[in-house]
Amino acid sequence: MGYQSSVEILTEWDIVAARQLGRNEAKEVGFGTVDQARITTAISELARNIYLYAGKGKIEIERITEGGLFGIIIIASDEGPGIPDVRKVMEDGFSTSGGLGAGMPGVKRLMDDFKVETVLGEGTVIKATKWIR
Amino acid sequence: MNKLMATFIQDNLEEIISRWQELMKDDSEERFFQIMSQDVIDKTSREFAELMISNLYEGETNYENRLKDFTNKVVRFGWSISFVMKAITHFTTVVYTMLEENGTIREENMKEYVMTFAAWITPMRDGIVETYAKTWERTVQLQKIALQELSASLIPVFDKISVMPLVGTIDTERAKLIMENLLEGVVKHRAEVVLLDITGVPVVDTMVAHHIIQAADAVRLVGAKCMLVGIRPEIAQTIVTLGINLKDFTTTSTLQRGVEQALAWTNRQIVEVEED
Amino acid sequence: MNLRIPILKLKDVLIVSIQWELDDQTALQFQEDLLTKMHETSARGVVIDLTPIDFIDSFIAKVLGDVIAMSGLMGAKVVITGIQPAVAITLIELGIRLEDVMTALDLENGLEKLQQELEA
Repeated sequence: MGYQSSVEILTEWDIVAARQLGRNEAKEVGFGTVDQARITTAISELARNIYLYAGKGKIEIERITEGGLFGIIIIASDEGPGIPDVRKVMEDGFSTSGGLGAGMPGVKRLMDDFKVETVLGEGTVIKATKWIR
Repeated sequence: MNKLMATFIQDNLEEIISRWQELMKDDSEERFFQIMSQDVIDKTSREFAELMISNLYEGETNYENRLKDFTNKVVRFGWSISFVMKAITHFTTVVYTMLEENGTIREENMKEYVMTFAAWITPMRDGIVETYAKTWERTVQLQKIALQELSASLIPVFDKISVMPLVGTIDTERAKLIMENLLEGVVKHRAEVVLLDITGVPVVDTMVAHHIIQAADAVRLVGAKCMLVGIRPEIAQTIVTLGINLKDFTTTSTLQRGVEQALAWTNRQIVEVEED
Repeated sequence: MNLRIPILKLKDVLIVSIQWELDDQTALQFQEDLLTKMHETSARGVVIDLTPIDFIDSFIAKVLGDVIAMSGLMGAKVVITGIQPAVAITLIELGIRLEDVMTALDLENGLEKLQQELEA
């Protein structure tokens, strides 16, 4: 379904590559500057989570359309340890990396739709969608 | 068969229209038949009947265009969609009944006629629904744009001071738009102080307050100060009752006092000039 | 690959203009460079201009917040200037408020504000 591109996340530099890809995609699909910043930031957060907690993984960006709307979906997948308590991770202020703890709930606020699938010991897939208003 | 039917309708137009009008008057809740004069009703009815006939020549070229023309015209009558649907149903019922009465439709050719009627009516119904849907979509779109325009504009009142009057209910969608306009405006007008005037906001609940606080925070980040003005007594009451914390905020009851404060922040004041 | 962010000195104020997207290493390097320079020059204030930056994620926000707190410990005041509307909105939505940060519309306003703060 639609156009798709991806970046493997192995090093810190790949975080930069992922968000550059996201910014370009957002621009091409036709998002405004504020939404471009939202999407770029969300990708940065998701890519950093992969780098910090799973070591390696992948950011995929897909163009989507539904009911006359256009948008993009960010799929962040890794084969890391999984998230033990998703609800806790989604609480504001919770962080295990010593960061600002804005990560996951922040990304949820930046995007229109946010889904987490995680299996302990097998990995995590996060899907975040943004539509053009 | 289509041609035969068209001729039949043409020949019996008066009868069909009067029967159709009877049915419509009995059935319809639409005010059209109650309010309009008999002249207008007759004229419109005839027009409607002509349009119905014009769609019978199915096989011919230009059918698509004629159908489009038909739906556009019907929509322009200003009837509601259910009224149009009823009109079509009753019209075909009358024609069918009359064809049965004069013996054109009989046991053995009934199936054929049913098919003909279906082929006549179905594209019309589809076309009408589509046209109405498009008209509504356009209306909604236009209203949305109108609302956005109305939504929020930042007005520079003095050098370094701008005001944004907020009017109407604030939902999440609008709050985002307001925030964008507010920040873009601050940067564009190089405002150092912005006054958010909520005189025109009917209800300030926790969510609205949350959006306002966020907007003020964002304004601070781009390098300006935000003040909340136009707080009516009932708004002050709900804010305190709900336990919403606006302590970090400068708030005033009127825009006038807000402007005075904003001038003070930018080291200015309004003085009266003495004339003699 | 590691480009350093230039730090300029103007009287007792340091001026930094961040011109390109920050990766993690550059951000951390900048933190170190700024504190060193501050120590060397005993600057009393810093203006960091972010006008060309089109997004800030939580990591960069944390580095900036830390730089400001560290500068405070060393007795210098920091003003951040030129945060773009889109950046401000995403920061707020992320839940990052940068509460005790002084801000200004642009470099000029920032320097003015800093001067006022230093005189006060």
